[in-house]
Amino acid sequence: MTFRTVVFRGLLPAGAVLALVVVASLAVGAGPVGPARALSVLVGGGDAEARFTVTRLRVPRTVVAIAVGIALGIAGALLQSVSRNPLAEPGLLGLSAGAAFAVVLVIAAGGSVATVGPHVAVIGAAVAGLLVLAAARMRGTGDDPVRLVLAGAALSGLLGATTSVLLLLDQRTADEVRFWTVGAVAGRDLSTLAGVAPALLLGLLLAVVASRALAALALGDDVAIGLGHRPRRVRAIAMLAVAFLVGAATAAAGPLAFVGLVVPFAARALVGPDIRHTLGICTLLGPAVVLLADVVSRLVARPYEMSLGVVTALIGAPVLVLVVRASRLPSL
Amino acid sequence: MTVLQTRSLTLAHARTPVIDGLDLDLPAGQVTVIIGPNGCGKSTLLSGLARVLAPRGGSVLLDGCALATMPTREVARRVGLLPQSAVAPDGLTVRDLVRYGRHPHQGLLRQWSRADAEAVDAALAAAGVEDLAERPLDTLSGGQRQRAWIAMVVAQDTPVVLLDEPTSALDLGHQIEVLDLVRSLAARGRTVVLVLHDLSSACRVADHLVALVDGQVVAAGAPGAVVNPGLVRRLYGVESVVVPDPTHGTPVVCPVGLAARTG
Amino acid sequence: MTATLPRRPAARPPAVAAPPGHSMLGPVLVHRRGLVTVVGLLVVLGAVVAISLAVGSVRIDPLRAVGAVFGTGTPRDLLVVGQLRLPRVEAGLAVGIALGLSGCLMQTLARNRLATPETTGLNNGATAFAVASVVSVPMSLAPPAMALTGAATAAALTLGLSGGAGPRGYRFLVVGLGLGAVFGAVTNLLLARADIDTANAAMPWTVGTLNTTTGPAVRLLELGLLVGLPTAMLLGRWLRALRFPDAVATGLGVPLGRARIAVLLTSVGAAGLSVAVAGPLGMVALAAPEAARRLTGPGPVPVVASALTGAVFTLLADLVGRTAFAPLEIPAGLVTAVVGGPYLLWLLLTTRTRTTP
Repeated sequence: MTFRTVVFRGLLPAGAVLALVVVASLAVGAGPVGPARALSVLVGGGDAEARFTVTRLRVPRTVVAIAVGIALGIAGALLQSVSRNPLAEPGLLGLSAGAAFAVVLVIAAGGSVATVGPHVAVIGAAVAGLLVLAAARMRGTGDDPVRLVLAGAALSGLLGATTSVLLLLDQRTADEVRFWTVGAVAGRDLSTLAGVAPALLLGLLLAVVASRALAALALGDDVAIGLGHRPRRVRAIAMLAVAFLVGAATAAAGPLAFVGLVVPFAARALVGPDIRHTLGICTLLGPAVVLLADVVSRLVARPYEMSLGVVTALIGAPVLVLVVRASRLPSL
Repeated sequence: MTVLQTRSLTLAHARTPVIDGLDLDLPAGQVTVIIGPNGCGKSTLLSGLARVLAPRGGSVLLDGCALATMPTREVARRVGLLPQSAVAPDGLTVRDLVRYGRHPHQGLLRQWSRADAEAVDAALAAAGVEDLAERPLDTLSGGQRQRAWIAMVVAQDTPVVLLDEPTSALDLGHQIEVLDLVRSLAARGRTVVLVLHDLSSACRVADHLVALVDGQVVAAGAPGAVVNPGLVRRLYGVESVVVPDPTHGTPVVCPVGLAARTG
Repeated sequence: MTATLPRRPAARPPAVAAPPGHSMLGPVLVHRRGLVTVVGLLVVLGAVVAISLAVGSVRIDPLRAVGAVFGTGTPRDLLVVGQLRLPRVEAGLAVGIALGLSGCLMQTLARNRLATPETTGLNNGATAFAVASVVSVPMSLAPPAMALTGAATAAALTLGLSGGAGPRGYRFLVVGLGLGAVFGAVTNLLLARADIDTANAAMPWTVGTLNTTTGPAVRLLELGLLVGLPTAMLLGRWLRALRFPDAVATGLGVPLGRARIAVLLTSVGAAGLSVAVAGPLGMVALAAPEAARRLTGPGPVPVVASALTGAVFTLLADLVGRTAFAPLEIPAGLVTAVVGGPYLLWLLLTTRTRTTP
């Protein structure tokens, strides 16, 4: 795969899709401001209501959705590369649930999402990820993609149930948390983004640092060592990146499943298995998928909005079935 | 010329030592083949030479310097490794794979250079896979795939090349293809160490033969000098007749039957 | 089948006198350890039932509580036990038996210890359909019927989408997981769009609880069990053969297609009806057959022991949920999830390659 083909088969189409979805995200909504009025704002005109809706409501949520999409897309690609498992995904492996659970714990202890959210979410994602991956590797079940996913599902279920019990016992926490645990970018403003930006940037930086060695790791540990890489250190860096990214995304938008599965899957279909190319495409496709889901969530239940997490699940599950239906699981 | 040696090297999997206190000199610029029965520690030794397995005791010396103390990237510029049954992700092309060989020569700031591109082209040519360069690895035959992997190690451009059973699961034609490639590497001044199962092809390709039993060297030297019925009996418990190859003159082992177990 | 194999005429005795662990009692081959297990489980279950009847906001002596079931005791005992606790215990018994049975059959059919009504999407399918019926047509019998339909739909979809391998192999599980996520999303969507009262009415369907069971649904489940449990016991010989690879099972003379359909229908029916009573009560269908297998040891497929273990687990979960944070009540489904989750993780991470039962 030459750089040319990566550009023409990957970057250009993905960029075009992203541009389209960004415009759609600014133009449509569940409320009364339709595409015509919204677009006139974009070209500098428009009435006061339309201007308010677009600049104060839709721009912030679009920006937050882009950040969340980048984080989850990259995190999914890294996680799949580290675990050599095309099914590995922050949601399916329980990382998002870990981040969410950590935040709920903090709220129950008296903190608030806004102040401590990102840090705690990063820690929660890291702990959950290490738990699932390390345990699976330690017990020699790391080669079994399905078992890893089931372990993640078990962890998610456990954390979800524990969260429910916490909420039952504590009404105040319940009220503060309920809006957040379903996953949404609606009503998020740019201060949300500012809160999670450090974790997000740090995660992206680590991802870039680890990418070349991760690509070699795809050839097996022995080959990677032969090429002068240190598999353990590379995996640790990549997992740290995943924790930062998932923590940032979860703190900003709540747990969103399947984005990390769909995006790298599509990216690989476009530009092949090399993680360096995949990561590049993921930075474009991730926001596109999250934004698309967000736009759909605004339209299907008008005049109400549907939960974003519901839409990503509806988009993601068919891809999951597609991956498993392949004659054999593709090796990564 | 780069010299690879081991000094009282001890290698272990989990608790059990497989190689215990091994002293070995691998001649520079020659093809060394390690032979021995299943479980004698051939592959373990190769992993140790490639610092994939850290020594439990003793050391592997590269030009007199302990491998374990050198930065791993520095080692990667001087020692190339092709492990047994390496797997690549689906969809990777031959050229993509060979490019990985340039990793040790690149850094965060120096990502890809003309020298890298030339080394990749040269490696593709040396391994005879130029025509397959754009083909995905998973569409190739076993022999072609093996040559592509060897091309990756060639592109790494290291004075020492370690290959673990590069001919396993290949048919006769492909075996000879790979072994000729190995010889051509040595002809260009590289030190090649490989593990082989088949005694006759080992004799044919090797300048230097090392026979291992239970992690200990029982014979080392030129194939014609060390391979005899006594060694075959000691290694495999098989009675044999050893005759010279009619065309190459290297020893050919003709098994007769299992040796009587006299203890 | 725990206690006995299907009766065979004495004229056709097994070629070998009796397999290890079995003894011949006339024409019937009895698995000794299995029989002991079943008897032991019955005793334990009796004790759990008595405690469940006795414990609550009003404490009653267990013996008096059992007496009250049979109509003796003070009017207050009769009221508390007969009107409040007995229906709940009855529902718990039926749900637990159904889940244990369903899990045991499903695991045997898929030859995978992780295949249960929850991992294969059945529970979520049943829940989605039940919630849909609550949200749109509030009728007394509608949710149970819809839950059954939902379970059947989910099973059919999972089977269809997992392709040629059928219920065997890993695809079945992952496809089930994906479908479960879709049905879960649909449930959330339905709840989000409903008004708050309707959503509250539908809430029990999403967690699994014995607090809101209705009489007709329990009757329907009991009726289903009256058919399903004997069917499963009669299927014992087929079940044993299903644990082997297809070629071996066929060689043993088992009509694979018919056997699979019979086992699957029984399993799906039991799971769907139990969701109709108590919502998706997690982990029981996974853990009960596992415990039953440990108790009975290798050999027979522990149908009866799984059902009894399921009942014990369900009643215990409900008991803990009712009493641990009293007066606040934790739904039994949350208790089983919190206790069962670590167990499932442990199961996944300790067994190296064997997930076959």
